[in-house]
Amino acid sequence: MRISRVRIVNFANFSNLDVQTGDSIVVVGENKVGKSNFLRAIQLILDPALSERDRQLGLDQFWDGLGEEKLGATVEVSVELTDFTDDPRLMAHLNDCIVDPGPPMVARLTYRFQPKAGLEGDPESLADYEYVIFGGDDPDMVIGASLRRMLPLDVQVALRDAEKDLSNWRNSPLRPLIEELATSLDEEARSEIQEQVNAAQTELVGRAEVVATATRISDRLSAIAGTQHATPVALGLAPTRLDALLRSLRLLIDNTTRGIADASLGTANLVFLALKSLELDRLVADGERDHTFFAIEEPEAHLHPHVQRLVYRYFLDGTDGDEDEPPLTTILTTHSPHIASVTPIRSVVLLRHDPTAGATVGVSTAAAPLTTRDEGDLQRYIDVSRGEMFFARGVILVEGDAERFLVPAFAEALDMPLDMLGITVCSVAGTNFTPYVKLLGSRGLSIPHVIITDRDPNGTHPPFVRRRLISALEIVDEDVDFDAMDADEVIEHAEPFGYFVNGDTLELELWRGGLAQRMQRVMLRELSLVQAARNRIQGWVDDPATLEPDRLLGYIERIGKGRFAQALAPRVTAAACPDYIRRALEHIRDAVA
Amino acid sequence: MPSRSISAAYLGQAADLAGNPGQLAAYDSTGHCVVLAGPGSGKTKTLVLKLARILAEDVRSPRGAACITYSQECARELTRRLEGLGLREASNLFIGTVHGFCLRHLLMPYGRLADLPLPFPLTMATQRQSEALLKRSGDRLFGVNHPWKSIDLGRHRRSVLDRTADDWEAEAELAAWTEAYEAELRRTGLIDFDDLIVFGQRLIAEHDWVLPLVQAKFPVLAVDEYQDLGVALDRIVRRLAFEGDVRLFAVGDPDQSIYGFTGADGGLLTDLAERGDVERVQLQLNYRSAARIVSASEMALGETRGYQASDQARQAVIAFVPCDGGLAGQAAHAVAEIIPVALASKPGRSLGDIAVLYKDFRAGNIVADAATAAGYDYVRVDTAAPYRKVALTSWIEDCAAWCAGGWREARPQLRGLLDRWHGFRRTRVRDQQARDEARRLTALLWSLRDDEAPARGFVAAMRAGLLDALMATEPGLADQREQVDRMTEALAVGGALAEVDMASLGGRDGSPLHLNLLTLHSAKGCEYDVVIMVGLDLGSLPWHNESPTKLRESRRLFYVGLTRARDEVHMLYSGFVDTPRGRMYRGRSPFLDELEQRMAEAGTA
Repeated sequence: MRISRVRIVNFANFSNLDVQTGDSIVVVGENKVGKSNFLRAIQLILDPALSERDRQLGLDQFWDGLGEEKLGATVEVSVELTDFTDDPRLMAHLNDCIVDPGPPMVARLTYRFQPKAGLEGDPESLADYEYVIFGGDDPDMVIGASLRRMLPLDVQVALRDAEKDLSNWRNSPLRPLIEELATSLDEEARSEIQEQVNAAQTELVGRAEVVATATRISDRLSAIAGTQHATPVALGLAPTRLDALLRSLRLLIDNTTRGIADASLGTANLVFLALKSLELDRLVADGERDHTFFAIEEPEAHLHPHVQRLVYRYFLDGTDGDEDEPPLTTILTTHSPHIASVTPIRSVVLLRHDPTAGATVGVSTAAAPLTTRDEGDLQRYIDVSRGEMFFARGVILVEGDAERFLVPAFAEALDMPLDMLGITVCSVAGTNFTPYVKLLGSRGLSIPHVIITDRDPNGTHPPFVRRRLISALEIVDEDVDFDAMDADEVIEHAEPFGYFVNGDTLELELWRGGLAQRMQRVMLRELSLVQAARNRIQGWVDDPATLEPDRLLGYIERIGKGRFAQALAPRVTAAACPDYIRRALEHIRDAVA
Repeated sequence: MPSRSISAAYLGQAADLAGNPGQLAAYDSTGHCVVLAGPGSGKTKTLVLKLARILAEDVRSPRGAACITYSQECARELTRRLEGLGLREASNLFIGTVHGFCLRHLLMPYGRLADLPLPFPLTMATQRQSEALLKRSGDRLFGVNHPWKSIDLGRHRRSVLDRTADDWEAEAELAAWTEAYEAELRRTGLIDFDDLIVFGQRLIAEHDWVLPLVQAKFPVLAVDEYQDLGVALDRIVRRLAFEGDVRLFAVGDPDQSIYGFTGADGGLLTDLAERGDVERVQLQLNYRSAARIVSASEMALGETRGYQASDQARQAVIAFVPCDGGLAGQAAHAVAEIIPVALASKPGRSLGDIAVLYKDFRAGNIVADAATAAGYDYVRVDTAAPYRKVALTSWIEDCAAWCAGGWREARPQLRGLLDRWHGFRRTRVRDQQARDEARRLTALLWSLRDDEAPARGFVAAMRAGLLDALMATEPGLADQREQVDRMTEALAVGGALAEVDMASLGGRDGSPLHLNLLTLHSAKGCEYDVVIMVGLDLGSLPWHNESPTKLRESRRLFYVGLTRARDEVHMLYSGFVDTPRGRMYRGRSPFLDELEQRMAEAGTA
């Protein structure tokens, strides 16, 4: 089962949020945008630990944009669930909540906080409010606590004190495991352990040093209180009863030399998550719940980026419907590109503040028009640096590392610092921009983006860029017949959409645009060239008309385009910025403004 | 893993099944199972134990079982027996009529999604509204005093489900009338009881997606009294069981099929039992009747069933009793002669162990007059009864039973009464509200405890305390409210039940101090030491010149009457019947002639 859609109306940061969601949910967005409130909203429906009082909201939890209109407004949160038809128990739970018979069949659960039914006139205070949680379209179809118990949302809050949780026996996720261990021991094992403990106890207590210490204590007791009142004492291990002993088992790290209290916060968190995950397995196996919505807030806290990726790949991959996997839907909130980079591409929910509405709006990848192949491509290529895309206000899509280094340099030179503008340059490592356009486009994450690409002439055939642009344009401008257009017409048509093309390839543009000498310097430094070659390059610098493009590109490729660009980047100037890059930069700057 | 919340009481009782291979086979069945259960064969016990076992061993909440039965009274009896095993109606155990099932578990959750042409929210027409609309639409079509009967309209509507089929137009007047009536209903935004079944069947038949949803909720479907349920339920059952993977446990007896006039057909059960993928179990042992009554019943039926009496030694009386004076004379003879002798002939026998059975409420009036004249208290179940038994009236009766002393031994259980109360809401209420109402209801019932008070004050207090508020907010209860009103009227000073006290109101199947007066139809499922059947004359049972089909059903009705008796059957006749056109001398019922002859041949007379 998975959540397929979340709607939040008039709650916290949200005026009217409506997002479709994928197998798992990874909520990304800037600080304060409402990532945690997104979880709080779902908790109102699904968290069995919330009390009636918790569900009775305060005015501060109403959307602030309501201003003076808060009293009288209705707060509503709904989740739609799907992919549950292969489990009859889930079907039975959701029997009365169906809103679409499908396929796929969809059930909906709604929390609503509203003026009391039957209230005469306007509500005068929140005392006139009540909440209802119902299934399907009918507010009378009330959902009880039993459903929440069996399909609970379990939230691990941010910066949780894992160490404290682990040391508190009652709440420790270690406790059920130890209890399970205790009940699994048969009589024979129990008496064997008990004997070993007794033997160790006897040996310890009998040692001369121990006896001597105990005697010193006893003597002093007698000296103080007299032999009449002082009871003789001994030193020993307590407790020795088996069940109590088992309960005193503690997790140890570093070859049992240190307790968890001595571990780093990161380790404690990791251990906590492992135990929690085991507990979830057990609850399902024992039939105490039929599905778990497991939400972890900002899991990146205290974890090394490398570990972040490993841990969350474990939780996010665990939800692909495998028979043996526990029925679990993972929900994360994060601002870590490390986690974003391991997120299943369909699972991203992006929250951003919409200044016009004064509210947080959400977009998601769940319904982006990606093909299976697109998904595969994106999944393979999205690494940590591309993961930054999800957090960006604007994205510049480029072909490769050369642009990735040079475009920010030009932007800097043009006084458009990309980092400050929240713009990320993302290399698609090739020329297949289409999946990214789908991902970032209006049916995906709706992030403003531009494409910077080469014309790539192709002899007597139309340049390669024609096909490339058409493929992207067909997504954003469906009703146009591009077949009839030649390359220049396509390029002209594409520019308003933010797709910018040069006359040939980047490096040639740069050479001709005034960076010839600087490029020469990089080549001379990076390559050991014979004198003839040095002379040839000098000739191109002196007379650009003599430039042999293939040979120039050959030299640069020997250095590596990325390395070359990286070396060149500190030397670029505003004046030398190729026109198409400048236009692209201005376009994206205006789009995110 | 068996759920901890399920009582294991059934295990103790299940041990009793060991001596009865049929009951044991049904109890141990794991697939579709049809139990053909002769009279007194422990059918209800088998059903109840099997249900308890299924709930304990085969399903776990939120999945559960639905148990559909013919009438509110049957449902009440099942509920009572299941409570005895520690099982209550719960969200995963439905016990009720096919109407209730169709409403709550088919039409309410899925009717809208399936775009059924019904007015939502569903509002039931009251009996009065329904009758008025029937009359209006009939009069408009055919003129006042037309010959068509609403009972036939009902039968036609329930038995021909495909309105495009020739069968529908084959009775063109009934078809036209039905359509006009339904249009009137819809115009007023109402549906009636038959709509529930017709549209429930349609939903199941036309929408594949409903099947897995029902299967998820109710992987097991039990049906009691299958022979009395019509073709619509049969279609629902077959579709759920054989296309929807719902496990079926059906119980019934085609020989006791006596509701053909409503569209019921015992043959449906026989067909079901013959399927290759269904385990057919026949219960042969009769725990109720003496051996002579068992064999006489089979002779009356005219079919060999091979039923055996459990207690071969028990003595029986089978008497053919001619009476002068027609029905009134028969009634007078019954109260003056038969009942005193019957009461005296067995220590401890009381009026409650004796029943007088008759054909219809007119005969009931005559018998009731005789009983009143003789100073007997009686309870009467027929269509002239002051109110019809519906879920709400049954619940009030059970509350009365609890307040009149039942609370001392938890019969009925308070918890069950509270759960049923919540069930009257159209929808589930919030936990908090449910708790509040349970508390108020408990307080109310506790305050109304009284062993001897008249029922009148009790019902009034229940209505004032909670019931009226419930009925005012639940439009779905409009029909039941009408029956509660009738109950109130009957209990009022001067009403038909003015003398009834709380214990009697709550008494099921009558109380020990009340003689039972029932129609043959209402007697089904009941048993008495002594059964007195009156009106066994040709022209009454059977009607003269009945069609072969009707004659077979009349014979089964006679069979049902006979098989109610444990020790004594008295069959009263006069050789004539009184009709609006005068006294008709057609002789006694041919069923008696046949029976007497066969008994003589068998040497058991």
